Amino acid sequence: MNRLQNVAESLAPVAVLLFLQPPPAAPPTPEQLQAGQRLFAAQCGFCHGRDAMGGETGPNLARSAFVRDDTTGDRMRTVLRDGRTDKGMPAFRLTDADVTAIIAFIRDQKTKADSPGARRSVDPEDLQSGNSERGRQYFNGAGRCATCHSPTGDLAGVATRLQGLELLQRMLYPSKSKVATVTVTTRSGEAVSGQLAHRDEFTIALTDSSDRYRSWRTADVTFAVNNPLDAHVEQLEKYTDDDMHNVLAYLQTLR
Amino acid sequence: MTTCTTSSHIYRHCVRTIAPLLFTGVVVAQNATDGWTTYHGDHTGRRHSRLAQLTPDNLHQITLAWAFATGDTASIKATPIVSNGIVYVTTPDNVWAIDARSARQIWRYTYPANEGFHIGHRGVAIDNDTVFFTTPDAHLVALDAHKGTVKWNVVIADAKKGYWSTNAPLVIRNHVIVGVAGDFDNLPGILTSVDPKTGATQWVFYSTPPPGTAGSPSDGATGGQMWMTGTYDAQQNLLFVGTGNPTPVLNGPAREGDNRWTDSILAINPDTGKLAWGFQATRHDTHDWDAAEVPVLIDAPFNGAPSKLLLQASRNSYFYVLDRTTGRSLLTKEFATANWAKGIDQDGRPIPDAAKEPARNGRLVAPDESGGTNYRSPSFDPATGLLVVSAHDAYGIYFFRPDHGKYGWAGADYGVWGKSILRGIDYRTGAIRWQHDLGDGAAGAGVLTTASGLTFTGDTSNNVLGLRTSDGATLWHAAIGRVGNSPITYELDGRQFVLVGAGSTLYAWALPERAVAR
Repeated sequence: MNRLQNVAESLAPVAVLLFLQPPPAAPPTPEQLQAGQRLFAAQCGFCHGRDAMGGETGPNLARSAFVRDDTTGDRMRTVLRDGRTDKGMPAFRLTDADVTAIIAFIRDQKTKADSPGARRSVDPEDLQSGNSERGRQYFNGAGRCATCHSPTGDLAGVATRLQGLELLQRMLYPSKSKVATVTVTTRSGEAVSGQLAHRDEFTIALTDSSDRYRSWRTADVTFAVNNPLDAHVEQLEKYTDDDMHNVLAYLQTLR
Repeated sequence: MTTCTTSSHIYRHCVRTIAPLLFTGVVVAQNATDGWTTYHGDHTGRRHSRLAQLTPDNLHQITLAWAFATGDTASIKATPIVSNGIVYVTTPDNVWAIDARSARQIWRYTYPANEGFHIGHRGVAIDNDTVFFTTPDAHLVALDAHKGTVKWNVVIADAKKGYWSTNAPLVIRNHVIVGVAGDFDNLPGILTSVDPKTGATQWVFYSTPPPGTAGSPSDGATGGQMWMTGTYDAQQNLLFVGTGNPTPVLNGPAREGDNRWTDSILAINPDTGKLAWGFQATRHDTHDWDAAEVPVLIDAPFNGAPSKLLLQASRNSYFYVLDRTTGRSLLTKEFATANWAKGIDQDGRPIPDAAKEPARNGRLVAPDESGGTNYRSPSFDPATGLLVVSAHDAYGIYFFRPDHGKYGWAGADYGVWGKSILRGIDYRTGAIRWQHDLGDGAAGAGVLTTASGLTFTGDTSNNVLGLRTSDGATLWHAAIGRVGNSPITYELDGRQFVLVGAGSTLYAWALPERAVAR
């Protein structure tokens, strides 16, 4: 280790403390919260609800894991500035003060939602109506869940990691799982496989084993997509509500 | 065929001249060749243009004629209005007037900062020299079409109570008809007619009575907002408009009964604001399935008899054909995934399955809240008899427990999965004659068809699509960003333009100038 590197490393923790950690968050002023509430209602309220507890298309931010985990507010800042256009959320042109006020309001709503009696939530206690034994039978039988999943493998301890609504949503359709793969065969006969990166009518794209992004015109190649999540989609039209509650009850036993 | 304009007396004249053509088959669209002067292109809601310079054979040659970036972050969800060589396009609080030849900005109007919902904006209406513009805080502003200066500004509904407006107003002779929205509060549905010259209120129509009204026909429900632009039949002198969901939204037990006139198609006299008839697309809705979608008017044979029809592809995933002289149902058929109905009643209304009402432990329901379709406009193609609809097969989970209360949303729901498909629905049978995959998620684009057999829309990725109407095959595409509005077309200097909004930019496509000159 050379001296310079040594200095740099010994300084690093200080730098982190000085520059990367947020200053101890001053509690928001009532004016800030009021401004945040007004801005939130006008700009965000339709999708996320005026109270941030869910609206027409946007999630309940007071119950959001994203908000819960974003202790510095940096991720919320980024999302407000850049949007999440793939999920339908536009970018917003707001001043830093406006963004700070909005984040303060969301946090305040989260605090309120975490207190007893909060409305428009789904609590883990609401989702205890199923029969776990019937759920186990469905899992191994009609549901064909066991084709891909195992209570001692990928699902071992799942009920410890996920509870309530989050577990139900992931069970029905794990939208965040990027598990689709594709094999593209070019006209010259070259076959390339990788993780599916994008697919529309005109373009097929993958990330290969060396993390390289490659795309082709769909008209120029043949390709085969293997998306294990298709089985979740097929199941949506087959589940009765009882099936759904029973499988959830079974998953809740996997601690 | 005559050229129709938005000028009210000429419009009436134009309807008279085409009257002899009625009942000889499907009547062709009536919109002016040089512009797109109302939200739907004309008063029928067909969004079908008789412009035919662009054809299935030459579409691959089209090129970008111009692009106009608003410079704002808000997406364009508005239908541009094109009148006298000027394009008017909007986002919440903003109107731009741009040169339809060059995309040069002529003026921009920005409404003062306000606290209404800034969710989207559908566009302006124009009448002679006045542009009508609704605002997030539920005002209607009249602007000088040439300068963008304010002529008058009136309150349509009380924003403090929770009303807002995204509505593109509808001009019918001396009436500017304007709707509002307001799902998050228990508010009666209101539609207002104002005087185009002064902004004075002419009438207010309530789709549901104010809370506490004795003997309420809505069974205590509020809501039924008319937030989409309606259509108009001059012969009948009837305005047709769809109404939104009841409130409280997910709490059904608080409002047992059918909840008239929420989720309905209504026929209203535009001179008096009186209801002629109503048809309820969803009785006792507990899933936010507005029937606000476009009531499309066609005159065409049905079961062998010449008929005056009204078509709607509704958010609840059912396609309806009504006799628009009476409101009687002629056909009800599923056009997108639905699992919430036990059958169809004798009046053509799906029978809600009580087991699919939101519940404490959740119900898996198709479609999801955003519905089998939504605000994105369909288009009717007379040559094929197809209503081309941007459909959505989707599932959601719906929750309600008593402590969610009786106010506003009063429950919780979450989308699970969905995909978008463009479907060509045969108006005679409701059969899906073809479908075209648009990708996972919900598309934002409406549909335009033309007399030369073209269909324009957008997918859920970032492509604008030009398709063949007869079979839905792709003829052309361009990756310009997610299309968020309904495409339109107009003719200028002998050249046909197709206008599409993606992100905050408006794109104009046309054949190359030289190709047109030849």
